[in-house]
Amino acid sequence: MTSAGRIPLSWLTRRVGMMAVTLWAIITLTFILMHAVPGGPFVSEKMLAPEIEAALNAKFGLDQPLWRQYLNYLSGVLTFDLGPSFKYPGVTVNQMISEGLAVTAQTGLLALICVVALGVPAGVIAALNRGKWPDTLAMFVATLGIAVPSYVVATVSLYIFALRLGWTPAFGLDDWRGYILPVFALSGFWMSFVARLTRSSLLETMEQDYIMTARAKGLPAHTIMLRHGLRNSLIPVVTVLGPVVANLLTGSFVIEQIFALPGIGRHFVQSITNRDYTAIMGITIFYAAFLMLMLLIVDLLYLWLDPRISYGERK
Amino acid sequence: MTRPAIAPHMWEPLDAAAKMPDLPDQSATRGFWQGVRYRLFRHRPAMAGLLFIIVLILASVFGPMISRYSYFEQRLELSNLPPIYRPYVVGEGRIVHVNASNLRLYNVGADGGIDGLLRPDDRDMVNRRSSWEIDGHALVLDYSQRPPVLSIDGSVAEAGRLSLNRRNLFGTDQLGRDVLVRQLYGARISLMVAAAAVLTNFVIGVLYGGIAGYLGGRVDAVMMRIVEIVATIPLTLYVILMMVVLKSGLLSVVLAIGTVYWVDMARIVRGQILTLKSQDYVAAARMMGGSTWRILFRHLLPNAFGPILVTLTMLIPSAIFIESFMSFIGLGVTPPQASWGTLTSEAVETLRAYPHQLFFPAVAISLTMLAFNFLGDGLRDALDPRLAS
Repeated sequence: MTSAGRIPLSWLTRRVGMMAVTLWAIITLTFILMHAVPGGPFVSEKMLAPEIEAALNAKFGLDQPLWRQYLNYLSGVLTFDLGPSFKYPGVTVNQMISEGLAVTAQTGLLALICVVALGVPAGVIAALNRGKWPDTLAMFVATLGIAVPSYVVATVSLYIFALRLGWTPAFGLDDWRGYILPVFALSGFWMSFVARLTRSSLLETMEQDYIMTARAKGLPAHTIMLRHGLRNSLIPVVTVLGPVVANLLTGSFVIEQIFALPGIGRHFVQSITNRDYTAIMGITIFYAAFLMLMLLIVDLLYLWLDPRISYGERK
Repeated sequence: MTRPAIAPHMWEPLDAAAKMPDLPDQSATRGFWQGVRYRLFRHRPAMAGLLFIIVLILASVFGPMISRYSYFEQRLELSNLPPIYRPYVVGEGRIVHVNASNLRLYNVGADGGIDGLLRPDDRDMVNRRSSWEIDGHALVLDYSQRPPVLSIDGSVAEAGRLSLNRRNLFGTDQLGRDVLVRQLYGARISLMVAAAAVLTNFVIGVLYGGIAGYLGGRVDAVMMRIVEIVATIPLTLYVILMMVVLKSGLLSVVLAIGTVYWVDMARIVRGQILTLKSQDYVAAARMMGGSTWRILFRHLLPNAFGPILVTLTMLIPSAIFIESFMSFIGLGVTPPQASWGTLTSEAVETLRAYPHQLFFPAVAISLTMLAFNFLGDGLRDALDPRLAS
């Protein structure tokens, strides 16, 4: 059977339906949370005249009953309109997202490529040389990579490579070298995680019966590992790719802050410190929708990789 | 079956000096938990991690108590002092320290600690030099060049050997607060967050997963749908949203982490219970009239304790990380409270002039994370020797 034939429509509809329910729950939850914040959005150090505050409330629809506001917001989200920013007059949340998206997507995608293109080979090399120095070295670096927090990697590498050695710019992305440190800091943890996962999964796969068969046929050890072992051992790696994308997104909050990159993460943190409630809500919902899409893609990838899995039957 | 005959002459008393030969693997002859303890104690990184954690706990509890400084006491005239410095000797027993970044001169006490700011008698901003009159000696700091040059009575002074700043072993921060005490206070906060994460995981996560797994059916489906919805969004995002609503501060951080941090645990416990509940001893317990609660708490959960423990130790570093992450971006503990995250972000502000301030919080959090990771790895290997690499 082809892989497309194994994706039953009923599974896909249930999956997408579940996504819609989740998204609705998140929209409702963030709406409730943001309206539970004590004080209105226009409460600040400057006292506003009551007429001005009333006018502002009327402009943003805050004078309407809560359920009406909720319905308005929900219909806005359904038509991809996340509303205006409360703090930057004339700027919509959509504009904020589309402005930052390019930067965040670029660094995030590069980091994802690093995770797969460097993490998997490192794990394979470690497994091929089990117990020898490449294994010890790779696992030592990977253990450090898992333990040291991303913001520490970012600040320390910023100091060493940008301030001390001057090899890379300290902020901005005008130059290709500007990408090196942010991408490295963003992907460090997951690169290490994937390397360790690939190693242990490959070693475990090598104990399966079909590997013994291949060995009995007299195939060379490296061929067995790379041709027969690797494909199956990559399944756990694919499973973590969903969480990886999620964590690269949230990791970008602090990385974009440190390297002063104008991405969504920085907008998000700024809107939190500014208490820009519509921006916080909008970006959260955007993140949620994006992540669920990623998880769906990972599920489909998973299905294509492992013919034993079928989502058709109910457990 | 014939037994090999042992002739009486083959029985001989053992030489009194001879010792019992070491058994190859003693763990095989012991009970399960004894075996686990045995394997764990032989796991060197795990033991190093455990030792580090115990030392950290003791230091963070007692350190701030016996220190002469408090984490919030500011002494602005003694700001940005280094942990190690090169002293200059001025005449008889008078030692001074030059801070090359803020171009100030400090007095060094008899104990080898930097204890006071020496104000210049003359500041010549045009020619970029400051001068002092100390014990009849004329000191001039010429900062028209980098690094600045100190001359005593007209001749260029030689800096002495690197010495420890014995008053503030880790130096001081930009407000003149003792970094060592603030580090230890940061350790307190991290460990409190870890304890809170453990508690919520244990109470909510284990209970939630246990009930869902044991009751099964529609209850399980509904409970796991909820977990699925919660788990779709990264926990960092939830914690950030919670922090927006709550006032920032330590209690809010703990509350925010506590509300969402049990999801992974619930999933793992449920999986364990699902496989355990079809075992014969559960059927036997049910047949004997054991109540649902009794079976869950006395029979099922104790048997799932291994994976629970491993998940717990693996969750601690991520909880500590989340707190420091939140504090780093300014949503965690509020000043003057110190957390490793706020200490790092404060150090970033002075990164160009005083890079050493980044060193302590960065090393502290990295070592702590490493220690918990090692302990977790060791526990996992000890509980399931087949997985050991």
